[in-house]
Amino acid sequence: MRSLLTLWALVVLISCSSKKPDSEAFLKTLENPETATPGVDEEVVNAILEQIPSPLEISVLLKQSGSRYNSEMLNSSHNLPRYNSNYKKALNLGVYGTDLGYTNIFGRNQDGLKYISAIKSLADELNIGQFFDVQTIGRLAANSKNLDSLLLITTMNFNHINHYLQSQSRDNLSVLLLTGGWIEAMQITCQTAARNPGNKQLQEKIGEQKIILEQILLLFSFYETDANMATLKADLNQLKLAYDKVEISYTYKESTMQIVDGVAVIKDNSTTNINIKPENVEEISKITNTIREKITS
Amino acid sequence: MKKIVLPILCLAFLGMAPVPFQDCNSESLATSCIPKLANGFNFLKSYKVDGLAKDKVEYSYVFTQGTQYMINLCANGNPPDGIVVAIFDKERNKVASSKINGQAAAAIAYSCNATGIYYIQYTFDEPSAHCGGSALGFKR
Repeated sequence: MRSLLTLWALVVLISCSSKKPDSEAFLKTLENPETATPGVDEEVVNAILEQIPSPLEISVLLKQSGSRYNSEMLNSSHNLPRYNSNYKKALNLGVYGTDLGYTNIFGRNQDGLKYISAIKSLADELNIGQFFDVQTIGRLAANSKNLDSLLLITTMNFNHINHYLQSQSRDNLSVLLLTGGWIEAMQITCQTAARNPGNKQLQEKIGEQKIILEQILLLFSFYETDANMATLKADLNQLKLAYDKVEISYTYKESTMQIVDGVAVIKDNSTTNINIKPENVEEISKITNTIREKITS
Repeated sequence: MKKIVLPILCLAFLGMAPVPFQDCNSESLATSCIPKLANGFNFLKSYKVDGLAKDKVEYSYVFTQGTQYMINLCANGNPPDGIVVAIFDKERNKVASSKINGQAAAAIAYSCNATGIYYIQYTFDEPSAHCGGSALGFKR
């Protein structure tokens, strides 16, 4: 009886002293990436992964900015046999995901079909192919009128892949998938900006990616014992040095809110000012291209 | 000694026992919210709003300048069904809410004018309404 009581007491003590996730500390790491401590905390990693915007947002901006579709900027699906390690497969799954979104947004569905096939191959090899409904996507891609459904299903598929990887404690692959997708979106934006040097909106879009890079570097700080990820992090740190010259300032002003037809319509009166010079864009583009070459080679 | 320790331990366990909550199928509600995004909005994320064991549910996302976002709400009853969604900037200033002057809406349309990390927070007006789902979409 005494030993049983001792065991119960031990359980109570452990239960009472178990450290709960410190939400304050977590929020601080989001706001001040440099204060993050190494060591994989899946809850924190997943929360950061969830907040990174979809590369699709950039593709929509590129189309609306009037830039022309250029398949030469994308990673050829013929490069697929080069990717033999899980590290390269995950990165290029992200790259091809961005390329697919870009072809979809520009209505180049025939080009998109090549990426669907490449994505399916990489996903299968990473044992996540079950989340990529290639038949439905292929059917939707055959008709340009299906754009909304196509974007919806591809986004849902990638979300499912990320959730699955996170639930399987394979969040390092999720980080690589996201990073590959982001670098490809950066590369496409930088090349488009180089062709449209007077487009201030594109330059600012490149500048505001400083916020995303900080979050990605925060994610990489959890995987410093992984040699591949440590090498990529060193490259991303080079990009950060270039971004240190970009200044982003924020001014809060109370929003204007009203309910219209059952929807709360919010006019944001806060502003950000992104101070980025053409030479900054050039330096960022150069480093981005070098990293992208390493990923896709 | 045993007579003293045993009741204390029993009381401790009773105090720690979880309060029985009804199930919340927030995943299904989140998925059902996706097709309810208004026309023209591209789907980005779906969020589970399972507040059965807490008084708020929070996610974060990087919103970008010049983009319009929509966050809608789905619940077992008629949405918003006591669920309120609000957006806070990185300094924790409230920049948007689905509840304005006491009137609650089932969706937010937020035109972002400042790129940065934002917190999407779900709170509950009624004790019975702690379960729902939500979807985030964007358009430019």
